[in-house]
Amino acid sequence: MALFKLEKRAPKGPAGKWDVVVGEDMCKACGFCLNICPVDVFAWRTTANRLGWFPMYVAKEENCVGCMLCYQICPDFCIDVAVKTGSRIDSPTVGRGGAPTPNMKIGG
Amino acid sequence: MATIARAAAKDGLIAPWVEWERRCTQGRRLLEAGTYALTEGAIAAGCRVFAGYPITPATDIAEYMSKRLPQVGGYYMQCEDELAGMHTCAGASLGGLKAMTATSGPGYTLMHDAYGWALTNEIPLVVVDAMRVGPISGITGAPGQGEFYVARYCTHGGNFETIVLSPSSVQEAFWLTIDAFNLSERFRTPVTILTDQVVSDMWEDLFVPDDYDALDFVVPRKHNLVAPFFPLGTADLDVPPNLVGQGTGVCVSAYTHTEEGYDIEEMEAQWAQTYRLVNKIRHHRAELARYETLGLEDAEVVAVAYGADARTVKTAVREARRRGLRAGFIRPITLWPFLDELFARDCHYVVCELNYDGQLVREVMRAAPDKGKVHFMGKSAELHTVAEVVAGLEGVARAGRIPELPYIWTEVR
Amino acid sequence: MNKLAAKYLRPSQIPTKACHGCGIGMIENWLLQAIDELGLKQEDVIFGTGIGCVGRQTFATWGGDNFGATHGRALAVATGLKLAQPDKKYLIVVGDGDAAAIGTSHLIHAARRNLGVVVICEDNMGYESTGGQFSPTTPAGYVTNSSPYGMVEPPFDPCDVVQAAGATFVAETTATQWHQTVKIVKKALQNDGFSFVHVRFPCNENFGAYALGTRDTGKNLEWIYEHTQGRKADGSATDFTWATGIKHDVSNSRPEFTKILRDMNARVRAKAEAR
Repeated sequence: MALFKLEKRAPKGPAGKWDVVVGEDMCKACGFCLNICPVDVFAWRTTANRLGWFPMYVAKEENCVGCMLCYQICPDFCIDVAVKTGSRIDSPTVGRGGAPTPNMKIGG
Repeated sequence: MATIARAAAKDGLIAPWVEWERRCTQGRRLLEAGTYALTEGAIAAGCRVFAGYPITPATDIAEYMSKRLPQVGGYYMQCEDELAGMHTCAGASLGGLKAMTATSGPGYTLMHDAYGWALTNEIPLVVVDAMRVGPISGITGAPGQGEFYVARYCTHGGNFETIVLSPSSVQEAFWLTIDAFNLSERFRTPVTILTDQVVSDMWEDLFVPDDYDALDFVVPRKHNLVAPFFPLGTADLDVPPNLVGQGTGVCVSAYTHTEEGYDIEEMEAQWAQTYRLVNKIRHHRAELARYETLGLEDAEVVAVAYGADARTVKTAVREARRRGLRAGFIRPITLWPFLDELFARDCHYVVCELNYDGQLVREVMRAAPDKGKVHFMGKSAELHTVAEVVAGLEGVARAGRIPELPYIWTEVR
Repeated sequence: MNKLAAKYLRPSQIPTKACHGCGIGMIENWLLQAIDELGLKQEDVIFGTGIGCVGRQTFATWGGDNFGATHGRALAVATGLKLAQPDKKYLIVVGDGDAAAIGTSHLIHAARRNLGVVVICEDNMGYESTGGQFSPTTPAGYVTNSSPYGMVEPPFDPCDVVQAAGATFVAETTATQWHQTVKIVKKALQNDGFSFVHVRFPCNENFGAYALGTRDTGKNLEWIYEHTQGRKADGSATDFTWATGIKHDVSNSRPEFTKILRDMNARVRAKAEAR
């Protein structure tokens, strides 16, 4: 994604202040986050996830500059990026046929 | 309530509006067309949306609706085509408003996709198909009965049952429309009112009750707001329809679905969904039986007809009786699910219908004990005359077959 | 699952059925941002979809009420729903087949009536769900599964069609323009009338494979970027460029369709009561 990487000017904050979470069980290994990240936060796992893909994982969280390109480009809702607050982002991964739909009332 | 078999031995009309007519004493007596009756029946039943496209002979329903619905806080929509019309009705019903559309054959076939969508998602709605002679546009101003099977198989893919009713007079069209809305609410399914150009366009004596709000036999719209939205694997009646727009989380789609409504590709789901769509109707056939009979207890030859055609056929049966023939008459009002039980008697049947290819006659042949004794008198573009039906009945009684009559088709292959 | 997905989506449908690298999920992520930034709750929004990749992969992912109509008819169902439930926000997420081919008639009439819904036409320039046949938005000359000698039909832009029909908000973006898309969808949702947002996105499995010659997700997203900017990495011009941005904005200047009907009803009943 040569031109894309060259021209995408996303605002960047200081490194090391960001929590990054990847839902590895939901990742379909498209590689966008890895390709677009300007500071090499992501890398490929060497074992497959439940879907059969080799997912991305957060290899170097300390490099993250909070540009949010990965969050915007992930096609599978896998990535969360937030300023470190002391407690980690809670990003539960759930699979098909799993948890019930929030706000839906179940009848008797 | 008498079982269907015993009731068939008496003369008379089996339909809920027999009771309704007795109870409604306050009202107006008008001279009006069938289209007017169909419209007022819908308004009386609580219909608040009409979305359709003008087509002869149902156009007057659209025009009446455009005038009446704003008066009662409802919405008339003239859609760009019949596909849109029926889909818009389905959307309105999903959103909580009772809805109806009205068309003729060419529009009815365009509605098949939408019909299936409403069927599979258990959405109540009423569709009037005022048949005319075909195929396709045919003769615009002439009656036909060519959508008998189409109304049963009104969408693709199989795995469903349908409810189809047919009135034969203007007064009956009024009550039957209320009945159609009631059934669509109770069974959570679209209901087709299969009528014809004669019932739609003719003017007859019509009694209309004064106060629609006081009609306690109208089934009101209730809503189901909790999961499961689709009680698959059950055949229960009176499950309230689902509602979109109150954040219940319901999913509605064209696919085989789960109880929550999203798509699933498992045999188990297909079975459970089909169990519901088919058996909610089949297991409650007794609730759906509406018909009229005459002289069946001693009949040797029974004339069968529905809709406007039944008017002249019934007169012919009376005339045949007057001439000494033991003739009987069956008028199914519920066309689907087909009332097999009405044809249990081992005698001759003369099936009169307004098509030449033979549709009702095939069902009678299937249901009757001896299909060799089922005879076909097909006609198109005009009602059967009393004289020709009498000739047909006498021919069958005396010689076992219908004589040669001009423009009467007797072959069924 | 990211926070907005956890707030708004149906967990049993995530991961979606979309192929890896498909733009549908990206765009849905941006829709969630627009919904969240406007302070809308799950019960305020109804999603309507159609048939095909965009319809199928979006359907049921929304945790609130949603419907998947038959092919091309999402707007017809939405018209009925809006009559009955006028106060909800409607996001009609359809593909180029649903909007620009089989359902164009309903698109035109919903725009003409100024029906208060937001149509998100996610355009991967072909019928990818059925394997990659061309559609009315496939670029001229491109090879697809049903145009093996090159697409000979001229394409059109559904934006032009809806604008001519009377839409009060029309905009176009692509899958490399997330900030613009979120801003534009927010504006679209605030128009009490017919809004049309056209988003071009990459398909790797079919359009990528047959028209662009690769299933590489990075290369296909780059192709989208190039045709958004109008130039390639080596500085040369692309064969065509998409004109993105807000194309027509007369938001809230015409009465919304169902409001017209409600106002008419009020007049009719007032007149009847006056007698």
